[in-house]
Amino acid sequence: MGKYEGDPVWDDVVPIPQDDGEGALAAIAYTDEYAEAMGYLRAVMAAKEYSPRVLDLTEHIISMNAAHYTVWLYRASTLLALNSSIPVELEWVNNVALDNQKNYQIWHHRQILIDHLYDSMSSDPAALKSLAESEVAFMTEMFNEDSKNYHVWSYRQWVVRKLDLFDKGEIECIETLLRQDVRNNSAWSHRFFVVFSNPKYCTPGSKATEYDPKIPGEILDREIEFAKAATFEAPQNQSPWNYLRGVLKKGGRKLSSLECFAGEFVKIPEVGEEDIKSSHALDFLADVWAQKGENEKADKALTLLGDKYDRIRKNYWDWRRTSLK
Amino acid sequence: MTFLRGKKQRVRFVRRAVAGHDRPNNQQIEQPELCSQGRSDTLDEIFESLFPFVLPGKTASMIPDLFTTLPPIRDLLHTGSSQVQDETIQECLPFLSGLKLDIECNEHGIPHLDRKKHITFLHHSLRNLPAPFVAADASRPWFFYWALSGLVAMGEDVSQYRERLISTLAPIQNSGGGFGGGNGQMSHLAPTYAVILSLIIVGGAEALDIIDRKAMWKWLGALKQPDGGFQMCVGGEEDIRGAYIAAVIITLLNLPLQLSKESLFWSREATLLTNLPEWISRCQTYEGGVSSRPDAEAHGAYAFCALACLSILDDPHIIIPEYLDVPCLISWLSARQYAPEGGFSGRTNKLVDGCYSHWVGGCWPLIEACLDGPSISSGDHLSAPLTSVGHLYSREGLIRYILCCCQEQSKRGGLRDKPSHNSDSYHTCYVLAGLSSAQHKWHFNTSATKTESSGMLTAAYQWTSDPILEYSQIFDEEDRVNTWHPIFAIPEGASERARSHFESKGGF
Ligand SMILES: [Zn+2]
Repeated sequence: MGKYEGDPVWDDVVPIPQDDGEGALAAIAYTDEYAEAMGYLRAVMAAKEYSPRVLDLTEHIISMNAAHYTVWLYRASTLLALNSSIPVELEWVNNVALDNQKNYQIWHHRQILIDHLYDSMSSDPAALKSLAESEVAFMTEMFNEDSKNYHVWSYRQWVVRKLDLFDKGEIECIETLLRQDVRNNSAWSHRFFVVFSNPKYCTPGSKATEYDPKIPGEILDREIEFAKAATFEAPQNQSPWNYLRGVLKKGGRKLSSLECFAGEFVKIPEVGEEDIKSSHALDFLADVWAQKGENEKADKALTLLGDKYDRIRKNYWDWRRTSLK
Repeated sequence: MTFLRGKKQRVRFVRRAVAGHDRPNNQQIEQPELCSQGRSDTLDEIFESLFPFVLPGKTASMIPDLFTTLPPIRDLLHTGSSQVQDETIQECLPFLSGLKLDIECNEHGIPHLDRKKHITFLHHSLRNLPAPFVAADASRPWFFYWALSGLVAMGEDVSQYRERLISTLAPIQNSGGGFGGGNGQMSHLAPTYAVILSLIIVGGAEALDIIDRKAMWKWLGALKQPDGGFQMCVGGEEDIRGAYIAAVIITLLNLPLQLSKESLFWSREATLLTNLPEWISRCQTYEGGVSSRPDAEAHGAYAFCALACLSILDDPHIIIPEYLDVPCLISWLSARQYAPEGGFSGRTNKLVDGCYSHWVGGCWPLIEACLDGPSISSGDHLSAPLTSVGHLYSREGLIRYILCCCQEQSKRGGLRDKPSHNSDSYHTCYVLAGLSSAQHKWHFNTSATKTESSGMLTAAYQWTSDPILEYSQIFDEEDRVNTWHPIFAIPEGASERARSHFESKGGF
């Protein structure tokens, strides 16, 4: 006898078996336990039942298959309908998330929970502060497992906007991660978001790829210095080079303002062998020189990239050469 | 050797001057000073232990050293990222260098596509799945799409699956529109996409007509968000997959563009497409790539969703530059290809993975069409654009990565992420799609006299392909796979047939 079939709590429910169609393709050989639980879920969903026993049922199914979006969404509706304790739910979700690193659904579920919780505490700064702290602590735990987890980072961007975490604390968190691995591009990308979407000084709705005249000069200087320092640690790390280009574009500054800096990694003497410590510096200088009209130097840089330092991208470098004329 | 496989295609030799860009001269590169200090010890040891066994001349003349040597510049600093990157090079090098004695290679050091094994693998993936596959219970329709598209690409007839596919899919459609991951599951755009493409692949009116188009249209109206994007399911997350899939559904099923009255945002002016390209534009990041939603990190799969969605809405050379910073995007896209591996990574400082052969590789035909502009057709023949940028990535690198590193060697067959991973049907599908894209040139055509079709969103039906034929072709002709539509990722021709089927119906 199944778990639910023999349980008086579920006496009144007639499970709905799965209709798989004739000769179903790629039919999954479910365990009896899963098949039974899903039969009861279909039944409660058909009856639009939102009750405490639905929370038990969905928890049971999620323990067998955490990638089941329908179960998560139905659970969220039930929680809200029952006015259940969100902090208790968050606690439980933390454990599920740690066991299911690649799961998509958990993060959306969490978003629904925080949205709801936020509405109930939006006038209580102390409560919001402690919520922010516990969210950050949990994400830090997730990053210990995989510091480039795309779902966690996307969720983090959402939390930063929701709880207005565009502050020093957030930047310090990123710096901790970058100290562990300066090549963590997710952390760089998050930093760009935190710095250049801060509602305190940014133009609302300014896109990541466009100039925002409202960014204060000292913030641009700070970000440029930060990225430069990281570049010296590992010149062939592309993350800070992309970051620098992004900062210059946001700030409306010329690439040539960093010509000297990029030149630190590129020595091309009139005669003799060149000394290239970073192909990204060479790429950067090619753009600087092209913008200044020094096409011969730019062409030389792009040729070196295509023939020697980044040959897999030769077609791309050659295409860049054709646009010099 | 025959260049034509089954169907009529124009034979076109790519001039060596263009194609040759993929073939660097085989000179040995001197290590710049910083880098020779910076070489990681483990890698160097592995490297030296490998190469004494190489027959002189074998790798030197047949496999360009680009694919057998370490990158010319490597930093001293070790971090988690560089550690796994070094390990990846380590696991790929023996496959790229033709050092796996049990694998038979051609004179370019490249093994055959093990078609028979991969075909068997995909057929098996449609049989009953054991209990651990319960994790795929909400994504089962993807298995149909991955297997069917992969099988057709390898020349298999999949009409044998038509009836069973129809009876499998009918119970997962919901009366409120759309398909769920299984019977009794909520409608969701991801399985709906897989279902529609699968039905189109097997084709035939009885397959296409199981889709309730009117309910689908109403459901899409409910998913539309005021900022222009789409939720994946009612109450679910909004991301760029939703934008791409919604556009795919609207155009393939020839749905009306106006919002259904059920939509929360109904107004006389608003349509399903209102602010959609603007929303996509907000997903481009400072790196040039595209993220799953505004504020997140650039990622290869989402770049494809963005470019393909835009290319459904209008001609690529018109709409892509209107909404994306193209030079910045190309720079980022190009940086996804690594050497010596030859494959693509999905993000900056992440590892190569076979599935990006499609997600990143599939961006190139759209970008190339964007740069080239359309071919003009007048009467029977097409005239290519006056100048073509050619291929902006290394086709040779990608083909080498796919054929050398992504094929499961055991009896099991199938294709994979990288040598240390098992094959699965997801990777089998998208690695083959990438291989096809590297073997063919796509043209976006506009007719000189533009005849308006009865429907909307016709841009996706103006693509034609040619096999790329070179004097120095590195793969054997028998390893060319069939073409996939550059936007829908299904066998060429299938989307046109489906679209005209639905067009012929007029309304619902
Ligand atoms: Zn993959």
